[in-house]
Amino acid sequence: MDYTLDARFDQERKGWVVTISGEVDIFNSADMKKSLTELINEKNTDMILDCKSLDYIDSTALGALVGVLKNVRSYGGVMYMRNVKPSLSKLFRITNLDKVFVMEGDDVE
Amino acid sequence: MSNNNVECIKLSLPLNSAYVSAARLTASSVANRLGFETDEIEDIKAAVSESCTYIIKKQPIETSVSSAHENFTIKFFLGENALSVEITTHGPLSGEQDGMSIIMIKALMDDVTITEEPDGATIIMSKEHKESRLFE
Repeated sequence: MDYTLDARFDQERKGWVVTISGEVDIFNSADMKKSLTELINEKNTDMILDCKSLDYIDSTALGALVGVLKNVRSYGGVMYMRNVKPSLSKLFRITNLDKVFVMEGDDVE
Repeated sequence: MSNNNVECIKLSLPLNSAYVSAARLTASSVANRLGFETDEIEDIKAAVSESCTYIIKKQPIETSVSSAHENFTIKFFLGENALSVEITTHGPLSGEQDGMSIIMIKALMDDVTITEEPDGATIIMSKEHKESRLFE
């Protein structure tokens, strides 16, 4: 199981909306970080990660997202995690990252 | 661990991050077989995945190329009301600590013991059924 990223720039929100699907772990987290960093370096804006089709994320991928967040913040932007599944929002809570990212969507407890 | 009356599933995987997903799939299947609830299965899956990540990240960088061809072992012990998992690797480890993996494993499982020796590491962890905990 791998992952896919589908990015579009939302003119209204003035930010990247990136739909992430599949599983991100130690095998592919560096690749995900590289792709998201390229987007932010192209347009220095907010980033909204839509996680409705994200099935799994591990500690290395969470660490990679924190790296992307630092980059977003360096441009004065905000990083949103949207529609995170309950099983994964638990992992954000355990690691206190639910207070670091802006969590939004119906599935946020 | 006394496992005489407990069924055991052994999985041997290369010390290669490409196979951590195989460990997750097996963990899900075993936990489902034991009748765990969906949220408990997700906990077990994530804890097994993080244990593999911990052990792979503990491999010394200078031996990472050769160690990618070596294997580590995951044993699932299928108890009546609980699942125990033992993850073992042999060989020298780096001194690097992966704090986030440990925090996650300890939060997701009931009991966790991590032992590091000069020649390897072992993670033993277990989780009981929610139902069995109700009657304690």
